[in-house]
Amino acid sequence: MTVTFDAQSLPELQNQQIAHPWRKKPPIFTLSVILATVIPLAIVALVYVGTDIPGAVVMTVVYFPLQMIASGIAAFATRGKRGIADSIIIVNAIGATLFSLIILISVIGSLIIRGISALSLHFLYQNNVYVSPSTPLEYGGIGHAVIGTLLIVGISTLIAVPIGVATAIYITEVRGRAVPYVRFFVQSMAGVPSVVAGLFILTIIVATGAFSQGAFAGGLAYAILMLPTVARTAEEVLKLVPEDLRTGALALGSTRARTVFKVVLPAARTGIITAIILGIARVIGETAPLLLAAGSVDSTVLNPFGGPIASIPTYIFNNVALPYPDAVARAWASALVLLVLVAILFVLARIFGRGRLSSK
Amino acid sequence: MSTTQTEFRDLKSAATSHRGDRVFNRTITALAFTALLVLAGIAVFLGLQTIPAFESQGISFLTTTAWDINTDPPTAGIWGMLYGSVLLAVIGLVIAVPASILLSVFMVFLAPKKLAAVLTNLIDLMAAIPSVILGLWAFYILNPTADEWQRLLNQYLGWIPIFENSSGNFLGTPFIAGFVLAIMMIPIVTSVSREVMARTPPDLINASEALGSSLWTMLRYVALPYGRGGIVGGVMLGLGRALGETIAVFFVLKIVFDVNWYNIIESGGGSVATLIVSRFGEVSGEFELSLLLAAGFFLFVLTLVVNVIANLIVARTGRLQK
Repeated sequence: MTVTFDAQSLPELQNQQIAHPWRKKPPIFTLSVILATVIPLAIVALVYVGTDIPGAVVMTVVYFPLQMIASGIAAFATRGKRGIADSIIIVNAIGATLFSLIILISVIGSLIIRGISALSLHFLYQNNVYVSPSTPLEYGGIGHAVIGTLLIVGISTLIAVPIGVATAIYITEVRGRAVPYVRFFVQSMAGVPSVVAGLFILTIIVATGAFSQGAFAGGLAYAILMLPTVARTAEEVLKLVPEDLRTGALALGSTRARTVFKVVLPAARTGIITAIILGIARVIGETAPLLLAAGSVDSTVLNPFGGPIASIPTYIFNNVALPYPDAVARAWASALVLLVLVAILFVLARIFGRGRLSSK
Repeated sequence: MSTTQTEFRDLKSAATSHRGDRVFNRTITALAFTALLVLAGIAVFLGLQTIPAFESQGISFLTTTAWDINTDPPTAGIWGMLYGSVLLAVIGLVIAVPASILLSVFMVFLAPKKLAAVLTNLIDLMAAIPSVILGLWAFYILNPTADEWQRLLNQYLGWIPIFENSSGNFLGTPFIAGFVLAIMMIPIVTSVSREVMARTPPDLINASEALGSSLWTMLRYVALPYGRGGIVGGVMLGLGRALGETIAVFFVLKIVFDVNWYNIIESGGGSVATLIVSRFGEVSGEFELSLLLAAGFFLFVLTLVVNVIANLIVARTGRLQK
């Protein structure tokens, strides 16, 4: 008789925690860490004060290698030769994390600092009809662009959400033979560049003369980008609905359609809302499709088929590189408004996402 | 797996027995093929637009670099743009891949759980920043810094061919555009590689540690080989995103119709997506528009191939890990 060892079958092996022996700290470790942190910083401070090399260069060319050497020596002193590779990884991993955080802080910080000066109440609701790039900041705003963005995103939500949820229902509820293919197409669609989505709508809607540039064409272009996000998130969410609910409903004599509409979708309600929010967050800042399909204009447009319409991303795009400080300030302020919108969607998605997990 | 299969069959037979359900099933099935319809539509309608381009330019539309529409006969070729898109993406990858892997190592194996959770949220937030905002930031904040850095690179490492710069103009370079693409790729690659690393079975890690491995040997022989497929897939997804990026690149890259082979800190480069947006505003007529649509078709094909490969890799590793 052969005895086989199967790690999966032993619960205590499955549930064990990672031990992280590299975290065990001998007393000399603390001392060497302090030395390895303080000495490079001191040398860099001296170099920075003593010479006129720019600060960022000092940090990268002097501090970073120096920190790796110091940590390497400290690791060698405490853990021998094998500690050196570990210390280099740790320094680089912290370095990469700081690098990403610095960029994130720089982007958000610069938006707040530069955007806040042009931001005011009238900036949020006035439009740009009588405003030229050199008009002072007391006049004009992005009200027309906010309305345009809401209109375009609303149209794309109306189109993409039903289709996206239907796609998810096909994968998790109908479970036809084509499930792997549908999934594959949705994933491939997620990779369509936004500018290509804009070009496609331009060819089939605008160039054929069916509709002019405007909110409807822009919404269609957005819907192409939104659909894969909604479909994939909704699929994940519907998978979490317990199988017992479906079989229970069917056992009570419900039809398949009733099961989906009365049991599965209500059970996954917050998850579907998360899918919608993530879909909106995916598209709300996309610029290229709107430049091609929606155009831009200075007045408020409410008719989805009524010609070119303004939107926040295209407004930013048009103002960024103008040689007027006030136009650039407007671009920063509208970028801040856009970021706040994205942040609100982000937080909403987290709240609904958490609700879904805790209700389980 | 086998039990769920039988459940599927039972549910299906129950579903198809009712007439209302047949309508429901057919409607849902039809809607589920929208994705295919859109992909096919893009391929057909943009593909048709390559006909005028090839009729007037022949194969040189793909192999030469020019954009003189108003001359007679007009010449147009997008080779430099296609190559430029790939060059920018490669620069982005060189920066983003090591940074993302190190970032995931920090989040999974080094950081305390709470810090790791905060970082995960921040990285997700970074992925949500619209590209037009990154473009604005890069134009005003990154450009001056990058200018300074590229001058220093050129001053001290100018003897390496890629850091040559003969014009003295350090703005609008492929390096800056690639750096911006790297910022967009880091959250994409990180979220995938963090997930696969976090899924490394604890017993494998503990076994390697019981055999005396350090952090580095554990990563080298356990975590990275285990997550390799997922990391490669994440990198390919990031690559697909970088190839199609338009607006952020538009603000920081000077489009020139001349192939910039490797001088990454020399002003001027190419990108198909950015070409489309920058020419669209002042398009001269039907013919130039169809050239731009043809360029869009080849961009679509390029990103589709990259994305399909990425998804196949991710799907395969997903199966292996189950």
